[in-house]
Amino acid sequence: MKNSLLLAFREFKERMSSRSFRAMLFVGPILIVGLIYLLMESGNQGVRSMKVLIADPANLMDRKIVSNPTEAVTYYFYDDYIELEPFKQSPKFQEFDALIEVNEKVLINKKVFLFYKNTPSVALKMKLKFDLERRIEEVMIAQFTSLSEQDFRRIKQPLNVDFRNVDDPYNQFNNELAWVGYSLGYMMMFFIGIFGTNITRSINREKSNRISEIILASVRPQQLMMGKIVGNWLASMIQLLIWIAIVGLGLFFLKELIIPDYFTSHYMQGMQISGNQMKELGLGAAMEHNEQVNLIYNRINYGFLLPNFILFFIGTYWVFASLFTIFGAMGSDISDGQQFAVPIWLLLGLSVFSGYNAAAFPDSGFTQFFTYFPWTSGMVAMVKISMGVTVSEYLMLLFAFCLQMIIGSFLVGFAGRIFKNGILSFDHKSSWSLFFRWLKRE
Amino acid sequence: MIEIIGATKVFHQKMALDSVSLSINPGQVFGLIGPNGAGKTTLIRLLNQIIYPTKGQIRIANISLNEAHVRSFGYLPEERGLYREMRVLEHLIFLGQLRGMAKNEAKEASSLWLEKFEISDWKYRKISSLSKGMAQKVQFIGTVLHNPDIIILDEPLSGFDPLNVDLIINEVRNLKAEDKTVIYSTHNMNSVDELCDEVALLNHGRVVAHDSVMKLRWAYKSGNFKVRFQGSKVSFAHGLWTWFEMLSCKELNDGVFEAEIKSRGAYQINHVFERLSEAVQLQKVEEQLPGMHDVFIKLVKDEK
Repeated sequence: MKNSLLLAFREFKERMSSRSFRAMLFVGPILIVGLIYLLMESGNQGVRSMKVLIADPANLMDRKIVSNPTEAVTYYFYDDYIELEPFKQSPKFQEFDALIEVNEKVLINKKVFLFYKNTPSVALKMKLKFDLERRIEEVMIAQFTSLSEQDFRRIKQPLNVDFRNVDDPYNQFNNELAWVGYSLGYMMMFFIGIFGTNITRSINREKSNRISEIILASVRPQQLMMGKIVGNWLASMIQLLIWIAIVGLGLFFLKELIIPDYFTSHYMQGMQISGNQMKELGLGAAMEHNEQVNLIYNRINYGFLLPNFILFFIGTYWVFASLFTIFGAMGSDISDGQQFAVPIWLLLGLSVFSGYNAAAFPDSGFTQFFTYFPWTSGMVAMVKISMGVTVSEYLMLLFAFCLQMIIGSFLVGFAGRIFKNGILSFDHKSSWSLFFRWLKRE
Repeated sequence: MIEIIGATKVFHQKMALDSVSLSINPGQVFGLIGPNGAGKTTLIRLLNQIIYPTKGQIRIANISLNEAHVRSFGYLPEERGLYREMRVLEHLIFLGQLRGMAKNEAKEASSLWLEKFEISDWKYRKISSLSKGMAQKVQFIGTVLHNPDIIILDEPLSGFDPLNVDLIINEVRNLKAEDKTVIYSTHNMNSVDELCDEVALLNHGRVVAHDSVMKLRWAYKSGNFKVRFQGSKVSFAHGLWTWFEMLSCKELNDGVFEAEIKSRGAYQINHVFERLSEAVQLQKVEEQLPGMHDVFIKLVKDEK
């Protein structure tokens, strides 16, 4: 055990001393945060503040619109009609960025036009729409009802028909959250792919620089393989944790400093509008956009998801790493015997598919199988956990984790045997016959 | 004592070792010699459990060879390498720790050895920056760092320049003085002459000869003598009679000659005295024993 740790620590130090590795520790997550920022910003391009002139000849709005003015929009009122040409051309209106036409029929047809000079951002559209809607509502309540504003708004709420699975009446299994789990699982596979290749390369290097005989005179081959796996795992965990920390901090700063608009009350209230209304307003993209923001910042149970992510990352890494170890023990160099890598990459692909399958068809037979198949169970576990699991289901996932650890241990034993039996073969060409020959106990 | 009893190793129907039996006494430098492919490295790998015998067994102090034995050995393999990205001292500490040393102990011992081998200025340099000779010194240090009682050196001199060859030979001599058992495989026969107490010559996986160096040299002596005398060269030549043949003769100083003669039959050193003591004044007679180089060639040729 002590020697395995020594080997692991040496491997870890070697990984950490690699310049490209150190660079990717920070560049990778910064790129991710940048990408998230781009995704958010792509839905929020355009003008972010406006001077808006409201042409209200009937004085329906009584020259007021919001009780809490913001810097983003300043409203001005005009008691007459304005044609578009003068609005565009006349020096009198040059300072205004947009014109809202509120005619007398608005209370009947409930249609208002906003003419802008430069396209407003999504956040600004949401604010304008929210402000206008609230004000017109107040006018209508006063004119046509004897209700209070609160009562009116309660009545106004559309009937919400919520489609739910008969086995999940409380909607604990949430589809959007499933995709969060899927994304985490995908990230898991991404890291496993990268670090698995590192394990293979490291074992190849051990053979090609001829140090293996010295090492194997001191430790068992299984200990050497363990050292390789654990060392690379430590490096991957450091990378993962740094990525999580930087991405987390990045999201926090995005929320607090760069895109705080998304979290203001009118923006959040805007999200309460039904999907159809949003689409009618041409704000479908904004609606999806809001849901993403809401999902990332409000709905994900990070406290439960992240510890489980680390747990299943360990299990899945172990079971995949054992295969990469076998592959490394077989080959004389990284380019040799690529055919052995194909099954591993297929398994990684299968794992990605199993996550999709579990998110789309959580009750299917395939999903049941993938839950316990060691190379897919980590991915399925992430999807299921993110959707929400019962205690018994969670216990079954832990059972799948144990299976991963047991199968991985057996495979590491085989890898050690292959490595030792093949240690004297330098510069050989890997083949399946060699594989089976070296698999036999000497 | 290390006992190798009937060790046989077959690789894919090819006999690499054929019933090899040897015993190696503690405190000896035991030479393993033989042509390329004779099975020396295979035998060494059996000793280190890198591979296992198809038949036969190895015993150390009457106990079957086990992992604990192997971990305690110092082993310098023929195919040797180092982690190129590690620094010299760091690497030596790592090797020492793998062999059970505490970190501080390994650090202290490494520093002493680096000093001894005059490469302590390089201890914080990366292995990749070392010359081949320096890297080999580091490998040697890694082998003896943990003060093992049994040291197995497979071709320790290959790749070294003559100065470093002397350095390593000297270190092996020191190990012998410390009562360590050294199994020493080499093609450098001069070093066998200098260092080994016993040798085993392997050929085609079998032990062809196994004895002390002196006995082997005596067994393969060719009847050559070096004689220093004062007197007439002609009298000396007459004195040789038909028993000996003069190979060379040179005058060292006034009337003192040194000649090399060869026996023409089974004539021994007493016959030299018998024939020459009346003809000239003998100052020194020395029987010329063959070096291990000659013994090796003769043994291998005889095998053929």
